[in-house]
Amino acid sequence: MNGRVLFLAIAAIAVLVTAWQTFFIVDQRQQAIIVTLGKPVRVINPPGRSEAGLHMKVPFTQNVIKLDRRNISLNAQQEEIIGAKQERLVVDAFVRYRITDPLLFYRTLGDERLAEDRIERLVSSSLRQVLGTATQEDIISGRRAELMRLAKVDVAKRAVDSRMGITIIDLRMRRVDLPATNRESVFNRMRTSRQQVAAQLRAVGEQQKREKIAEADKEVTVTLANAREQAGTTIGQGDALRTRIFAQSFGKDPSFAVFFRSLQAYDASLGDGNTTLVLSPDSAFFKYFEHGPSGGGRK
Amino acid sequence: MPWNDNANPGPWGQPPGGDGDGPQRRPQGGGRGPRRPGQDFDRLISRLREMLGGPGGGVQPGVIAAALGAAFGLWALSGIYLVQPNEQAVITTFGAYTGFAGPGVNYHLPAPIQRAEKVKVTYLNRTDVGGDAAAAAAAASTGANSTGGDAAESLMLTGDEQIIDLDFSVTWRINDPAKFLFAVRDPDEAVKAVAESAMREVVGKTPLQPIISTGRGLVQQQTAELMQKTLDSWGAGISVVEVQIRSAGPPSEVVAAFREVNNAQQDADSAVNEANTYFNRVVNEAKGDAARITQDSEAYRSRAELEAKGEAARFNQLYAEYRRAPAVTRDRLYVETMQRVLQSSNKVVIDAKGATAPIILPPDVFRPRNAPAAAAPAPQPAPAQPAAKAQP
Repeated sequence: MNGRVLFLAIAAIAVLVTAWQTFFIVDQRQQAIIVTLGKPVRVINPPGRSEAGLHMKVPFTQNVIKLDRRNISLNAQQEEIIGAKQERLVVDAFVRYRITDPLLFYRTLGDERLAEDRIERLVSSSLRQVLGTATQEDIISGRRAELMRLAKVDVAKRAVDSRMGITIIDLRMRRVDLPATNRESVFNRMRTSRQQVAAQLRAVGEQQKREKIAEADKEVTVTLANAREQAGTTIGQGDALRTRIFAQSFGKDPSFAVFFRSLQAYDASLGDGNTTLVLSPDSAFFKYFEHGPSGGGRK
Repeated sequence: MPWNDNANPGPWGQPPGGDGDGPQRRPQGGGRGPRRPGQDFDRLISRLREMLGGPGGGVQPGVIAAALGAAFGLWALSGIYLVQPNEQAVITTFGAYTGFAGPGVNYHLPAPIQRAEKVKVTYLNRTDVGGDAAAAAAAASTGANSTGGDAAESLMLTGDEQIIDLDFSVTWRINDPAKFLFAVRDPDEAVKAVAESAMREVVGKTPLQPIISTGRGLVQQQTAELMQKTLDSWGAGISVVEVQIRSAGPPSEVVAAFREVNNAQQDADSAVNEANTYFNRVVNEAKGDAARITQDSEAYRSRAELEAKGEAARFNQLYAEYRRAPAVTRDRLYVETMQRVLQSSNKVVIDAKGATAPIILPPDVFRPRNAPAAAAPAPQPAPAQPAAKAQP
């Protein structure tokens, strides 16, 4: 009885251990390398093949090494790049890569940390090479996408050449900035440019103001002059009418008209009481005053 | 594999309770199985012996079978799971992707064989770049003029080589759960990196002024498109719903200069307003003045005409009578007029005939008669010379 139980227990344990050593699961996210006593012999579920699931190996002598199968991110270290015109730019880039040849990857790099180190160096030299020929303006705006593509192609080629078993999926510049020391000069430029705009706005405002005032003054002068012109015409019409009316009526007897008009004028101009007249008794008015009732006959 | 666990529920003395967490332990069971019995081997053997060697040994196999059956049933039931309405489940069989399950109660083969990973497909994820949106909102509500963010993330170069302080958020959701789970490592970090890269690329092509004013929508749209393109090229299974610029403005170092431009615009506007005010005032006043001039001239014309008519009429009337007796009328008119004139005037009558020397008249004579002469004597008598008053 005791012996049987013991045997059963040992057998069960042996079966379990063997099963544990034989079966293994390769996740959808992973790829695996089967290593026989340190020598890689087989790859399971590499990119391009769909082999995730339950797998078997020779127990005890074979090991499974699992690697990531996904698109892996790698943030490159910040680089200070010198552009074509000696401008300095700080570039932050990131790379997405995938382990596409797990055997090669395992042989040359072994693990991701080493891979990151190597890739970072590749990225750094690619960025320097590609961006070194471009001007700051190109890097920041004009040809950014194109330069990123060139750098990506360059890194991808270097990665293939260095036989690391990885494929570069993408390289993107995350940030392209000026070094802190250059930033202040940009701020200065921004400030002065704004000041220029402000001055320009004020000047244009002042210009419009003066134009408007000048226009107003002109308008005033022209309005008044027009009015005066019209008034002159109107006054002339009045004078003309008056002249015509007088001419019509006085024309009937010009000499009497002059006499009559003169009398009116004497009345109007001398009759205000402020006039001192120094008269000679010879005047017609004093005809009788001087010569008596006969009037002197000197008419 | 589970034989080991199920073989000895007895030693722990509570078979049903021990089975309750049996299925959960099963995934690790295979891993721990070989070691644990080895460590506790002697104790295990002694307990097994105690139990199996106890009274009523004939019923023991039945107990073991029942316990095994119950454990197996529970294990099988552990495959029941619930998918919420906003979720989708991705089923993997031994790690390999084998299908989806929609919302509701679902079943998968129990744990080591199949697993279900639930993914929130309708949930809108939000990634903030340039500081946390909530922190920024808090800072804004306390009145601080802060973007609440990381300057390195917020400051970026624009197309006209200026620096802008820009914070934004990306809203995204999972549109392909399988790709989302299996294609890209750390998708959240990937979204952020792509967002930053895309935004900086777009901002790098756009001058500063449009970004902080009217061009914001375009920048958001272009960034979203660029992000989507990049994520699609990776097969990330992520759909960018919206890119929203939370705040975009000049960096704090140059804010004053930008405000100054606004002030200048205000000043310019007010200068123009002043000028318009002046214009309206003086031009309208001038129109009023012009109307006065015109009206005056028309008044003059009317007066000239009417007065002339009046005088002409008077003359005509008089003339009609005059023609009947011209001489008499002439003399009468003359004398009457002279009478009126001399009546109201100072008069000096001098007979200068035969005078050899100039006649000097005293100044009083010339003083106006009805002037308020304070020191003057009565004007009526002409003091120096014999004067004759015309009497009517």
